Amino acid sequence: MIPESLPAATHDPSAAPVLQTEGLRIDRVRPDRRDTIVTAIDLTLDPGETIGIVGESGSGKSMTARAIMGLLPRGLVAGGTVRYQDRNLLDLTEREWQAMRGSEIGLILQDPFTMLNPLMACGKIISESLLREPRLSRDARRAEVVRRLAEVGIRDASVAGRYPFQLSGGMRQRVGIAAALARDPRVLIADEPTTALDVTTQRDVLALIKSIQAARGMSLILITHDLRVAFAVCDRVYVLYAGSLIEMGSSAELDAEPLHPYSLGLLLSEPSAERRTGGLVAIPGSVPAPDEVAGSCTFAPRCNWAAPACTQDSPRLAEVAPGRLSACVRLPEIRAEMAALRRRGEQDDRPVAAAQPAETPLIKVQDARKVFRNGRRTVTALDGVSIEVGEHESVGIVGESGSGKTTLARILVGLERATGGQISVGGIPATNWASLSERDRRRLRSTIQIVFQDPYSSLNPMRSIGSILREAIAIGAPDMPDRGAEVGNLLRSVGLPADYARRKPVALSGGERQRVAIARVLAARPRVLVCDEPVSALDMSVQAQILNLLISLRAERGLGYLFITHDLSIVRQLTERLYVMHSGRVVESGPTEDVLSSPRDPYTAALLRSVPRPEPEWLAASK
Amino acid sequence: MTSADPVLLLGEQRLRAGARARRRVVSPVIWLAFAVMAGVLLMALFGALLAPQSPSAQHLAIVDAPPSGAHWLGTDALGRDVLSRVIAGARTAFFGPLVIAAASFVLGNLLGLLAGYRGGLADAVIMRWVDFMWSLPSLVILVVVAGTVGSSYWLAVAVLIVLTVPFDTRVIRGATLEQVPRPYVEAAKTLGVPRWKIMLFHIWPNVSPVAVANTCLVFAGSLVTLAGLEFLGLGLPPGIPDWGLMLSQNEALLFTNPLATIAPGAMIVLTAIAMNLIGDWLYELLTSRGAGR
Repeated sequence: MIPESLPAATHDPSAAPVLQTEGLRIDRVRPDRRDTIVTAIDLTLDPGETIGIVGESGSGKSMTARAIMGLLPRGLVAGGTVRYQDRNLLDLTEREWQAMRGSEIGLILQDPFTMLNPLMACGKIISESLLREPRLSRDARRAEVVRRLAEVGIRDASVAGRYPFQLSGGMRQRVGIAAALARDPRVLIADEPTTALDVTTQRDVLALIKSIQAARGMSLILITHDLRVAFAVCDRVYVLYAGSLIEMGSSAELDAEPLHPYSLGLLLSEPSAERRTGGLVAIPGSVPAPDEVAGSCTFAPRCNWAAPACTQDSPRLAEVAPGRLSACVRLPEIRAEMAALRRRGEQDDRPVAAAQPAETPLIKVQDARKVFRNGRRTVTALDGVSIEVGEHESVGIVGESGSGKTTLARILVGLERATGGQISVGGIPATNWASLSERDRRRLRSTIQIVFQDPYSSLNPMRSIGSILREAIAIGAPDMPDRGAEVGNLLRSVGLPADYARRKPVALSGGERQRVAIARVLAARPRVLVCDEPVSALDMSVQAQILNLLISLRAERGLGYLFITHDLSIVRQLTERLYVMHSGRVVESGPTEDVLSSPRDPYTAALLRSVPRPEPEWLAASK
Repeated sequence: MTSADPVLLLGEQRLRAGARARRRVVSPVIWLAFAVMAGVLLMALFGALLAPQSPSAQHLAIVDAPPSGAHWLGTDALGRDVLSRVIAGARTAFFGPLVIAAASFVLGNLLGLLAGYRGGLADAVIMRWVDFMWSLPSLVILVVVAGTVGSSYWLAVAVLIVLTVPFDTRVIRGATLEQVPRPYVEAAKTLGVPRWKIMLFHIWPNVSPVAVANTCLVFAGSLVTLAGLEFLGLGLPPGIPDWGLMLSQNEALLFTNPLATIAPGAMIVLTAIAMNLIGDWLYELLTSRGAGR
């Protein structure tokens, strides 16, 4: 069903909008107080148009979608109007909603693993979603299900008889799309439809959604945290920050010249997958709750251009150019400055340090194998992997889920045991940690340490930051005379004030927690750090802070890194050498620049193509 | 690094929000539950001093008397003051369950942590033993043990400990299994924290809400079970004031002095409910200390 090239967008801007929200606000109502989720959201969606709502976690983008669908969770109330066909959807009763959902407005959710009922076959899920009238015979219904599956690119009719757990994530998301479209809605809302999918699957699913939209003339609201994805898919993009819209513009114009410091910051802080740039420009701080910044510009506490005028009133979106809305009150004064910053970011290339082949590698893995046994089923996670990491070297391992990259990381730090092969770390045979002497294990731990993906669960929630770090010091540097002072030093070295030692992890943001996790491993004074997706659980505006911290720690301490990631842009910015893994094997390796600019393995080339680009060819060239 | 001001500012706000959540109001029901438990504790410690009369003094002239100014809850079949016996009876109602709860807390937590964290052989052995203990009919065991060794209060307590530990073990093992795959445990492993420290200082604090709430349940449960055993005559000798014993001895007086059975029965129910409420409250309190927002 995916056409070779997409038809031009069919929407006509002069037509009346199909969906419009005016002053939509959502509050969480508690017995003792009211918390704002979003304030005054004004959106318009024209027939056949695609709009994007882009925001970080906590911006309120998902709740906005749920309010439009009448699916707000208990305790949340919406105000304002959501106009659809001259009706205010917020006034509908639950019975009226049933006629509306699916038939007029459809919804695709983020997680294809929980969106489908695990006890229903896929055909049943879709046929249940089909219109009840007119009554179809059983055969006609089955034929319709097969036709619907074909529409989402599943030509294998036997999928109708399979259960969700028997399908891959991408297939599940396709079934979810088929179910959402079963009653031919005029508006489709896709809430992070590809976030849980692998990068190569992401492009296929986005292209599919886009092509069906074009074929049906449907309107689409795409909700995403990824500006690149929004630019690639949407006609217009709304940027949401801490519950307020701060900018709106067409994808091309917004990409060319963002007219709000936050959008600019997001674009600047995004590592480029195309080339190595001179450092990342991070936005300081983290996303506040809407009520913390009420009555002021929501971005003012983190904005470089914040002036007294910014905090006197909460600015609304205003037209600053034809088709462009921005909530920045200082825009006329700072517009030129912002544009200059953007140009500098684009020109500033960093010379790449030549990758030197290590003479005596710090980490040497030869032909590592790992087989997981679960009852009678066996899964081969590593199928003969050999890698080397030199002293002070930064090496990337890139792959999608199931490639075995995380298993390799866990084996290196002794959390799993390889089924076969030879591993040595710092000259110590580390194939089987259990057979080593305590002294060797201690030496290994002071050579290699790991930073985990999810900072929300890698710190013990019941202990204070100080006690977490003191324990790491007691083990990693037992002869340290003043542990309290060292806790302060460690915190300062990761850019946190020393008085954070008294806090519990719950009082810290995701980025701050990841800093603490990095401080904790630094206490062991390792020579090489394994970073397993160190920023993928963090908000976009915070990712660059952590990547910059890793870069500066390397310069200060001569650390080596092994980056385990699916993200080519991180690898491009932070590593000299690269291994590409696929299905438990290394399919390509070499200096990062060489591999990424002239990939030899088809899988590497496919990974590179999957990086979102705003050009229409990006989606059209899928498959 | 980054300019510290906004970071600090936001962190500060979050800290204040946390403090606000901690200072939330304790509901009057919980205050009442604590008052009941404090009263029972006082009666258990100083029962003889608090009782208006000697709980064992017999006044054979005024047997089965309904409530009066001299005997607020009337007298029993031997003319003993019911109020004094209820107050004195708190001792066996409180200390037996306390010992059971404390002992099974220690043993159940250790075994549960061991089974959940170590896995493998330790888990298999401990859990098969737990399964075996669960398959035993506990009341029959008590009757048989009391019948062969002779009935005694502390023997009943000891048997109840043996029967409760497997229950605790299973609960704690389940809670531990939930924590073991969490990255904070793996982070401690990769740092080289000794296994016993990971169990006691990393995992246990996160299991503690469940452990503490469960122990309150065990206290309430064994209070009721012990009273039931006394009711059946499997425990204390007849002369000792005890709520369960009073229930069975005064059953015959239901029509002459109903308070002689209702009062000890009501105390059993009140104490058990109060303990359960406190358990729920402690669970909420301990959970909000860490993962809560």
